[in-house]
Amino acid sequence: MQSSAARAESADYVWPSRKPGARKGPLAGVRVADFCWMGVGACATRLLADFGAEVIRIEDRNRLDMPRRLPIYKGEARTYGEEDANPDPNKGGLFNNYNRNKLGVTINMRSPKGKALADRLIASSSVVTENFAPGVMERWGLTYERLRELSPQVIYARMSGFGHTGPHAEHRSYGPIVQAVCGLSYISGLPGEEPSGWGLSYMDNEAAFFNASALLTAIYHRNLTGEGAEIDVSAVEAGINLLGPVLLDVTVNGRSTQDGTYPTGNRLEHPDAAPHGVYPCVGADRWIAIAVFDEAEWRALVSVMGNPAWASEARFATQAARFANQDALDALMGAWTLDKDRHQLMHALQAAGVTAGAVQTAEDTNDHDPQIASRGVFFEMDHPVIGEARFEGTPIQFSETVQENWRSGPLLGEDNAHVFKGLLGVADDEYDELAAEGVI
Amino acid sequence: MPQTPHPLAGLKVVEVAHDIGGEFAGLLLAQMGAEVVKLEPPEGSPTRKVGPFAKGREGPDSSLNFWFYNSNKRSVTADLATPSGMAALKALLADADIFVSTLQPKALAAVGLDLAALSVAYPKLIVLSVTPFGLTGPWADYKSSDLVALAAGGPLNSCGYDDHAIPPIRPGGNQGYHTVTSFAQIGVMLALLERQKTGRGQVLDVSMHESCAVNVELANPYWFYPKVNVQRQTCRHAQPSPTQSALFRCADGRYVYFALILAEPKAWSALVTWMESKGMAVQLTDPAFSDVAYRQAHFHEVQELVECFFLIQDSHDAYHDGQAAGLPIGVLNAPEDLLDDEHLKAREFFVEVEHEGLGPVTYPGALYRFSSFGEVARTAAPKLGEHTQEVLGKGARTPEEVAP
Repeated sequence: MQSSAARAESADYVWPSRKPGARKGPLAGVRVADFCWMGVGACATRLLADFGAEVIRIEDRNRLDMPRRLPIYKGEARTYGEEDANPDPNKGGLFNNYNRNKLGVTINMRSPKGKALADRLIASSSVVTENFAPGVMERWGLTYERLRELSPQVIYARMSGFGHTGPHAEHRSYGPIVQAVCGLSYISGLPGEEPSGWGLSYMDNEAAFFNASALLTAIYHRNLTGEGAEIDVSAVEAGINLLGPVLLDVTVNGRSTQDGTYPTGNRLEHPDAAPHGVYPCVGADRWIAIAVFDEAEWRALVSVMGNPAWASEARFATQAARFANQDALDALMGAWTLDKDRHQLMHALQAAGVTAGAVQTAEDTNDHDPQIASRGVFFEMDHPVIGEARFEGTPIQFSETVQENWRSGPLLGEDNAHVFKGLLGVADDEYDELAAEGVI
Repeated sequence: MPQTPHPLAGLKVVEVAHDIGGEFAGLLLAQMGAEVVKLEPPEGSPTRKVGPFAKGREGPDSSLNFWFYNSNKRSVTADLATPSGMAALKALLADADIFVSTLQPKALAAVGLDLAALSVAYPKLIVLSVTPFGLTGPWADYKSSDLVALAAGGPLNSCGYDDHAIPPIRPGGNQGYHTVTSFAQIGVMLALLERQKTGRGQVLDVSMHESCAVNVELANPYWFYPKVNVQRQTCRHAQPSPTQSALFRCADGRYVYFALILAEPKAWSALVTWMESKGMAVQLTDPAFSDVAYRQAHFHEVQELVECFFLIQDSHDAYHDGQAAGLPIGVLNAPEDLLDDEHLKAREFFVEVEHEGLGPVTYPGALYRFSSFGEVARTAAPKLGEHTQEVLGKGARTPEEVAP
């Protein structure tokens, strides 16, 4: 039996519903030669694919994209380090998640014929994207100058950890390293303790979103002026923009963040909110976040608590007093929440006008959150190998713009025939030769 | 030098934003050249009341929280609860391209604003609503904050310490708001591109709750596919089951993040060579350790030696030496470290912004760099009502005149 990928490469799609058609959306007509891989790049170009761009992922059969390898499979709970030696490239859930609505081709960029084929693809595209370590595209001769020869109005988006200039441009980087170097990890944790930092590659996602914005801005500018651009986004620099006002506290006030009192865990330094914390609820590792900013919210909270005597003690009489006595306040709050259901408590507090939210897991937001369900941000699409799969949508409801979810992630090389023969006009015999020589 | 074009030059934005999610969205538009008028209540945006304050002097014009998110805007005061205030807003909207609003449904109703009706009245207008839970649904009027958004949306569940007696810990810096701003920015650029094709504006309803719910990285695919919830761990990825620590304490009491990957032969030999250069490789040079299976079986031994290795080094030296050895390592910089970072200096990242009475103040530089166009030079956030007369006309009252 042929593999799913091999079947997919026949000129006619085995699954007719997976055959690409004309796209809808504000980016319809924009073709993207997408050299991105891993999370950041793929997540950025997903936004383009969702809204009509013809994003063609260029992959290397000999160096599989990490999300194709990571063992995020149905029915198998493994950490991402526990990957198979020879994984089925079409089974990886993370790849599917990042690459919906895109086309997939394979090109061996180490072969001269592969490079020539990539040139043809670039020449027929108006956007080129990449997030390799700086220098990789240059090794293939794909500088901005060369790209402009191939496609005069090209937009060349380059996404990296540290940017394409400067002494650390070639530093190895991925999400947790970016978060460390830009300061985001350091500003997260309990005072006097090791930083708790981030339990996710937040900056992979945020850098992806800013890269998507930068691409959209460049396309908007090109529509107005006819002029392309090279884009250099450093995830570290994006991360520094996300440090927030503490950075100005340092530059304006000369405050030190290294005196053992900073950061402040779940408490705020500004404004003087109290209680402001995460408190235990019924169940294993179940919590609720409660944030009280003013007198009215405090009175509402006390009323929901049933007016306990402690709440009228002098040490909790004013916002300033509560802020100053948070150790005692938090202990009393935690004792009160301990036997409550986190969702019932959230609704009771919100009904009274108190800012509160259950700490929700992905299971909660996906399967039990009536707000998200009512707005439909998650959706399903079928996949030939994985089967029905869920996707995280775009958290924007547009009154006009359409997000067209036409297909789940491409199988490895699924669109080779469509792209090389159909779009680039590679002849049948040349195509067969490229396949036989391992160029595609 | 030729003038760098700004892609959004000529676009007019009206901002009614009472939280930093909306304000940051307005800032990103202003930085690309749009003219942003920030309409504030006579007492000022609530964000002006939030510290820290410049030199500790509290006041609406000295909030660093406000400064950070409101550069390059003009401030106009108008009370939307009064007919003249609403008339001022409508007059601005008639000529605007983008309206940024953070008002939740009840707040919109209270002042008689109907976003869909605005879109009909001003067909070219892009209405960008940025709210805690979106404009519809059972929680649409629930209150939120950065902590609550991160909690209910899911990112918080992945963040904290190995010890689960400690609650999940909020990552610093207003990231719930920053997350919704990221999507607001994407949405408004898509709407501008759509308008280039159709000539029509539209209403965008962006929810902070949903933005956080899709910004949990692996937690979602781990639920979509194997149907497991990830468990938080100290300063490293939340996973279905525990993994080894990646945070190492250094001689200066600071930390580096270093994921010890035993399976990669190149990374392993780079690590051993580096440790050996400091006389700290001890038994790791033993040929037995060149076998992956052996390394994995002796993982705790390796981990302990690496812990000792970092304990005798300065964190920034470890960062630079480790990267020079080709290893994925990052120092946990404190904000003040960044100002001296040689790489950021070489890229001329930080910018100076002149502030009346203070002189130049250092701000973060561009989020993204373009070869053929760029952002406008950053300017200080406006004082409360600084541009009321300039924007609304000579008849408009200044905040001093409004004040009792």
